[in-house]
Amino acid sequence: MLDIDWKGLALPFAYLIVLGGALMTFSTIYRRRKAGTQTNPQPPSLSPSKTPYRHPSPQTLTPNFSHTAESANLAPWFGPHLQRDIYLSLLHLDPEDGAEKAPKVPDGVLRAALLRRAVEDIERLIHIKTAKQACGALLQRGSVGDDLWQRFLRAEKEMEEELRDVVTEANALAPNWGPVIFQSAHEIAANTKLRQRLEEIQAQTEAEKAWWLKKRSQIQAEFMKELDESEKGSTKDGHEDDAVVIDSPSKKGGKK
Amino acid sequence: MSDLDHFSMLPIHMDPQSKAILPSGSRPSRALAAELEKLNALHRAILNIEVPPGAIPLVPPPPIPVNPKRTANVSKLRDSGNTEYRRQKYEEAVKLYTQGIEMALQRPLWEPAALVREEVSMLYANRAQSHMAMGNWPEGAVDAEASVEARRVGNAKGWWRRGRCLTEMGRLEEAREWVKRALEMEGEEADLVSLLKDIEERIDKARA
Repeated sequence: MLDIDWKGLALPFAYLIVLGGALMTFSTIYRRRKAGTQTNPQPPSLSPSKTPYRHPSPQTLTPNFSHTAESANLAPWFGPHLQRDIYLSLLHLDPEDGAEKAPKVPDGVLRAALLRRAVEDIERLIHIKTAKQACGALLQRGSVGDDLWQRFLRAEKEMEEELRDVVTEANALAPNWGPVIFQSAHEIAANTKLRQRLEEIQAQTEAEKAWWLKKRSQIQAEFMKELDESEKGSTKDGHEDDAVVIDSPSKKGGKK
Repeated sequence: MSDLDHFSMLPIHMDPQSKAILPSGSRPSRALAAELEKLNALHRAILNIEVPPGAIPLVPPPPIPVNPKRTANVSKLRDSGNTEYRRQKYEEAVKLYTQGIEMALQRPLWEPAALVREEVSMLYANRAQSHMAMGNWPEGAVDAEASVEARRVGNAKGWWRRGRCLTEMGRLEEAREWVKRALEMEGEEADLVSLLKDIEERIDKARA
């Protein structure tokens, strides 16, 4: 009879289990990552908008697909593309209650939606361009991991596809619009930013005016007090307050 | 944009009368509502395009060439503002410059941003000058800052005016920083150099 000392073998077995488990965990994680970085996005199958969209019911397709995409891949660089979703949703509007057919969306609305999408693309493109140099430099120095760079490259590639897609859609909506749409979108992006900045600056006007009124009344009050002091030699007590409240000129002002 | 073949169907619908796109559901997300607002505004702007004969209707034209009408209107408003300024009717001048600024900012968004920058930087600078003539330093300072925001280089007057306004309001440190930045952008502009000298003298005097 072979006499096995099970107790004595427990340690080696435990060692083997831990080793095997660690290797397996590593390989699953590694393979999942690898799958994530290597699944290239499939060529776009979005057909030009004049013909119906290829997927009959996008609602049923989208959730599970985007879910697998997220778990199999690294997280995407950009968040969801709201403008693109709006544009595509407009192409697939649901029929209103009671109506048989989905309402026909006028071309003007579709064009506006596509233009909004192009504007967002321009902003993302600018973001990618500025981020690329910084990202590359950081990668060379080893400050960022390889997966970040992979995510970045994928975002860049997807951007290219997205741009091509928008141009195709534009040409389908109006002849020869494709070459122009991004010029327009670029100006829209720049104009929007400029107007926003100017509005921000102009919004300060009221606060600045109020501040100056208060400050001026303080200066006046100080002057009055100086006059009083030179007559009586007495001092009044007051407190200083920097908020933009217009106060009666009797208050003592703080120097600023 | 994780994958290009799919998209998320959004809860939106179209108002059949106004053709405006509206979020469906009782509690639409704020981002969606804001974006749809922009979309509808852009749609209205597209509907307002004057279609020149031969062009495709309802497509924003390329940025260049620009419809000269608005440019002409803006420069007309600026010129009449300048006339009022010369007659020392500063209130009137401010009103005209304000109209000019509004006119320039209502330019359709797809027209060149560089053109808007040029127009409004000039108008804001002029309005700042009119405010300064009336002693309205805070308004002058804000307008001059807006002018500089629209055009940073080659806008020594804009830089100088805000520096002057800040000095007048006694914000000397702020003025000094501002004018130093101006000198970086504009090089050794004589007005700016003398303003900086003036500010530094005042700071020394305040310390003494």
